[in-house]
Amino acid sequence: MARYIVRRLLTMLLTMILVSMLVFAIVEIAPGNVARNILGAYATPEQEASMSRQLGLTRPVSIRYISWLFGSDWQAKGEIGLPMAQIISEQGLVKNAREWWAVAPNGEHLQWTVEEGKLYKLVLLADGNTEKILDESSWKAGEDGDEYFWGVDTANRAAKWVKGSKDIEYRLDYSGWVESTGAPVEYIPLSKGLIRGDAGVSLRYQAPVSEVIGRRILNSFILAALAIVVSIPTAVILGLIAGLNEGKLIDRIISIGGLITAGSPDFATGILLIMVFAIWLKVLPGAAVFTSADALWKNPNLLVLPVLTASLVEIGYVLRITRSSVVEVMNSPYVRTAILKGLTYRQVVTRHVLRNAMMAPITVIMLHVNWFIGGLVVVESVFGYPGLGSFILNAALFKDVYSIEAGAMVLILLAVGTQLIADLIYSLVNPRIRYS
Amino acid sequence: MEKKIHPLVTEANQQLREGKITRRDFLRLSTLLGLTVASAEFLAACGTPEQAATEVPAPAATEAPVVATEAPATGGIVRGGTLTCATRIERVDNPATTSLISAAQPWRHVIEYLTHTDPTGVTHPYLLESWNASDDLLTWTLILRKGIKFNNGQELTADDVMFNFKQWLTESVQSSMFGAMSYLDLSGVEKTDDYTITLKLKTPSIFIPEHLAQYPAGIVPASFGGDITKEPIGTGAFTMEEYVVGERCVLKARKDYWRNGADGKPLPYLDEIIMVQLGDDRSADLSAYQSGQVDTILEPNVAIWEALKDDADTTVVATPTGATRVLRLRADQEPWNKVEVVQALKHCHNREKILALALQGQGTIGNDSHVSQANPEFNDIPPYPFDTAKSKELLTAAGYPDGLTVELAVASDWPESMAYAQALKEDAIAGGFTINLNPMPASQYWEGWTDFNMGITWWSHRTLAPMILAVAYTGNPDGTPAAWNESHWVDQEFSDILTEAVGTLDLEKRKELVGKLQVIQKERGTICLPFFMSVWKIYKKNIHDIEPTPDEYAIFYETWKDA
Repeated sequence: MARYIVRRLLTMLLTMILVSMLVFAIVEIAPGNVARNILGAYATPEQEASMSRQLGLTRPVSIRYISWLFGSDWQAKGEIGLPMAQIISEQGLVKNAREWWAVAPNGEHLQWTVEEGKLYKLVLLADGNTEKILDESSWKAGEDGDEYFWGVDTANRAAKWVKGSKDIEYRLDYSGWVESTGAPVEYIPLSKGLIRGDAGVSLRYQAPVSEVIGRRILNSFILAALAIVVSIPTAVILGLIAGLNEGKLIDRIISIGGLITAGSPDFATGILLIMVFAIWLKVLPGAAVFTSADALWKNPNLLVLPVLTASLVEIGYVLRITRSSVVEVMNSPYVRTAILKGLTYRQVVTRHVLRNAMMAPITVIMLHVNWFIGGLVVVESVFGYPGLGSFILNAALFKDVYSIEAGAMVLILLAVGTQLIADLIYSLVNPRIRYS
Repeated sequence: MEKKIHPLVTEANQQLREGKITRRDFLRLSTLLGLTVASAEFLAACGTPEQAATEVPAPAATEAPVVATEAPATGGIVRGGTLTCATRIERVDNPATTSLISAAQPWRHVIEYLTHTDPTGVTHPYLLESWNASDDLLTWTLILRKGIKFNNGQELTADDVMFNFKQWLTESVQSSMFGAMSYLDLSGVEKTDDYTITLKLKTPSIFIPEHLAQYPAGIVPASFGGDITKEPIGTGAFTMEEYVVGERCVLKARKDYWRNGADGKPLPYLDEIIMVQLGDDRSADLSAYQSGQVDTILEPNVAIWEALKDDADTTVVATPTGATRVLRLRADQEPWNKVEVVQALKHCHNREKILALALQGQGTIGNDSHVSQANPEFNDIPPYPFDTAKSKELLTAAGYPDGLTVELAVASDWPESMAYAQALKEDAIAGGFTINLNPMPASQYWEGWTDFNMGITWWSHRTLAPMILAVAYTGNPDGTPAAWNESHWVDQEFSDILTEAVGTLDLEKRKELVGKLQVIQKERGTICLPFFMSVWKIYKKNIHDIEPTPDEYAIFYETWKDA
């Protein structure tokens, strides 16, 4: 069993790597120019080229893929010769402003800037300000006779300056396009990489993707977990009752009820529930109005209608599968044998029927866990719930590349993970399935 | 106290006497020129400017902005409470570059404006104590109110205002103020002393006070580093406590705000404002409102208005505006570079039908010129009739006897645009146009709004007609379209008359000039504009004093809530 799990984990890793390449390639191939998306219609080709360089988009695809996955700070370390450090500080309403610095052997944190052809280093002081010191002695002689310098600039990039370069950098500053000559000739945007929890900076939110997506994953996870906790036991119990009473009135009622809830689209169910419980009876909130970050804990009522809406569809679906599976098992020869053997009805049901009949629902449930986390877009939209599904949808609409990539990876990880869990549960439920 | 009165005020007063302009227009003009509202009202009511100057001992415009909404509260104002609004929480860094009103809504409670245009269209000093214009309208003096403190304790001085002018007037910043204030160069802005700024204009203009009240003109301190979420510093009555793009922001009342309320204590009345965004399509706004989770919905659309217009628990205030949806056609691209084609499309508009479908009739008919009844310079020029036979004729003349197939970009989030596009698509078939709709999310539309060959763009209200015309339908000095000229239509005659209108204070003369502009734009302009919209403020009955601005600004400084 242990060997099986290890093997499965390794295949999972391989799958993830292949999928990451695929995700990266799809976003890469997809039409749309990232630099132009950021700059808008009025940028000149020079500005666009400069922005592409600054975003590291002119680097080879393979290097960008590796940087996305494993980060680029170690690449920068190789060029600069100093270790990199990411400092996270609070700036105004931005709780986790991230800044990259090079760490000198004496422990000083350094950034560099070139102004009017002269190299300056910026030393981080204890109070968060910087001291600007002329650093002209740091230029290094290059092979082609030019003097160059690799350092960290003030915008979270490693940059290579060439002394006396006439290159113009167009930078979108608070005061607009800043043209500065002596701009770096090469950039490495610094990041830790997806593996180390840094999925890049969202172009839409101008905040780390990991921060935004983390919040959304948590919200979706809460919604999905509650929906599963509510719907699965209810559905399995109802399906069992219906299956054991095949053809009787109770079976008919449950089956038709299940058909109705599974058949009604979730937006219709959601709106009906809102009209009854929020607008008419005024007993429950009709939308997910999060007035603070911990609104869900302070006012769990917010979750009732979204969870109910998501659950109803799921209940109908799972109960019908459970019912037909139970019916099938009840008619199987081994159940007849067990009954003929003289086992009590209860023993027959718990020891023979339940275990065998659960195989199909478990497959469906595990597939649905994944769907629940990412696929509740409609429920999220009806209630204005800030979840992962709507996040990914909007990232795709905005061509927010790092968000799309991170969102896709999260969903794939969930899909692969839940499938592994499903396989393990199979073997627990049905001892005939043995993995080795 | 002797106070110099602008000669044009005397002239305007004369026109008022002769019934050529309305009292409201006179008030607007004279306050624009630096007269206090009290003096202007006095002038309007009786006598000559000379009398007003000597007999009304009012210091230069010092009243706090007058707000007239419902019946004035008679001592019933309650302090405290939280106002919750459903709106959009946009990504904002530099307020000067904001191009969406919704992006400015939360922040206008943190940063304030030099002037304020009240619901009747009269502009007052706000952070300014007063302003003065020279006789030739080329030199304007802005005098700052003393003792106003930013929420970091620093005092607001002319240096801060200079910094803001620098942002607005530097082209590379890409602030819409740059296009709007095309009459002013940065070199013409001078600090006279710590509280006085002098503006030397390139061409005469009367719009300065009104431009200073535009939503990108919020005043940030001179130390501003480019991202207001990192430095939420302003003079406003609230401080931003939390700002989560796409989700929520929380504003808390300041204790030391500079303006006092009706009860003599500092504003604001509310303790807290919470703004939430419920998803990207705002479909949950209505259920949030109806189940009592939010008190108001900002910038409500017609569907929300329809659902709530008869609600017993809701105050609905409608205001006709110059806000509209403009079908703009790229004048520099096929087929719209032929004026007959544009005119043909104009003949395919069944305007009443479009207004009924798009807005349930809640608006006014447009004649393809971007001047609305809400602008004082409006001339009632009838639009082209709905005549598809004429359209076919024009298309044949332009060399398209077999008709034309075009693609129309439209933002699916704006129901009015969608309804307009669909109505036009149906009606234009008979006129020889096959219009393929290309619906997309608004965010995607804004990304390419100036690029599309044919698209329907959302335009907000501007107080005076030439203000919008100068932003959207002019060229740079080199003849290329200005930054916001989405139709890329630059017409020399139009530009010349517009420049003249911008320097004309006399309303009657300006109205005449705008009339010429309306005709030119109707005939040659590459836009179709079938309707202007009404806007609404929609809020619960227990909320009071929300200013019904035609420009859809949400201002909650003097809003209060029943205990």
